[in-house]
Amino acid sequence: MANARALDKRRKSIRNIRKITRTMELIATARYKKAMDRAAAATAYTDQITKIVKQLADAGTDVQHPLLEQRDNINSSRVLVLASNRGLCGGYNASILRTAMPHIRSLNEEMESVSIDASGKRGVNGLKFRGIDADQQFLQFEDQPAYAEVEKIAEAYLKQYITGQIDRLDVVYTKFISTSKQIAVVETLLPIGSLADESDDAVDDSVGAGNAHSQYEFLPSAESILEEVVPTSFKVKLFKCFLDAAVSEQVARMIAMKGATESAGDMIKQLSMTYNRARQSQITGEIMEIIGGVEALEG
Amino acid sequence: MSIRCVVVTPERTELDREAEFVALPMYDGELGVQPGRAPIIGRLGYGVLRLQTNAGPQRYFVDGGFAQVESDVVNVLTARAIAVDSLQADEAAQALSEALELPSNTPELAKIKETAVLRARGQLRAAR
Repeated sequence: MANARALDKRRKSIRNIRKITRTMELIATARYKKAMDRAAAATAYTDQITKIVKQLADAGTDVQHPLLEQRDNINSSRVLVLASNRGLCGGYNASILRTAMPHIRSLNEEMESVSIDASGKRGVNGLKFRGIDADQQFLQFEDQPAYAEVEKIAEAYLKQYITGQIDRLDVVYTKFISTSKQIAVVETLLPIGSLADESDDAVDDSVGAGNAHSQYEFLPSAESILEEVVPTSFKVKLFKCFLDAAVSEQVARMIAMKGATESAGDMIKQLSMTYNRARQSQITGEIMEIIGGVEALEG
Repeated sequence: MSIRCVVVTPERTELDREAEFVALPMYDGELGVQPGRAPIIGRLGYGVLRLQTNAGPQRYFVDGGFAQVESDVVNVLTARAIAVDSLQADEAAQALSEALELPSNTPELAKIKETAVLRARGQLRAAR
């Protein structure tokens, strides 16, 4: 039987670890709620943009823009990998890298120049370990990515795309579907493809039903508005990726820390049992020794 | 009669309040909106959004975007909306000088420069 004192020491240290993981769980929960609220606020903006696009299309505008069209020759491409700055969030970073690596490899085979950007220390280090050096590193994003920062990055990408330095931009991030489901996905943001996204249908219906008769006047012209809508919708899409990644990170951390707290509890229970047994047997041993001593004296 | 003015940025709903009169900084000049305005969708420039409310006038700097007016509701979609009081004139002046330094040797670069200059000028004008 193990030494009772050593067992007690171990139990104490596990208790301390449990305190830390429980606190981290609570912090992650609070941050997750905040990040969720931000994501919901961004939805109000995207819904409005979608409405405008819908009105433009209804007015018979030909929805065409250089950012929307697939280029014939794709020679260079950029991949942005969104990971986290901190660890202790379960399989979050691993699943991002697991999705990114095959994609990067296949791009490397297809075209001459592929450059990789990474956000988050874990992403940068993970890519370095796999033999890829990140061209640009963004380490400033925590649980609440600021639109101003994302906009700068988006503008840089738009500039590179318009001037022909890149022909394609992919983003690898964790898409938030529900609290219990987040998946790592690769999304092509440039060329944008279509302005409408999945959540469109619901919005479209309500717009169609409510405002069927309204005739909008476009200032200065529908084309000019379209010219502005397309880059804006790219920026917002990129921002949405960052928000989704931030929410998913907090959820992953929350779940990982919850699991850790529970396992620590189980371990403490197990150790307590072993400790009590060890203590009991130690006491029994001591009593036996005393009885033996007394008997020896009497005899 | 009053109009509801809603200013939305990607981060949050910046403003949602009733006003008697709203002046939008459009791409090609200011546009006043009073109750009963016919529906429009317009492109915003970089300038000052003015509201005439019960509590007095309010001014915000908006950083491009769109405005949608329909049935006495003005929806403003913009990247940033900052109360004019909290704008820094020297920061805006620096942004302008940086924008003027940008290269413009190809049509694409010239366009990017033009946008940056317009934005900085709008900000500077609003800050003064």
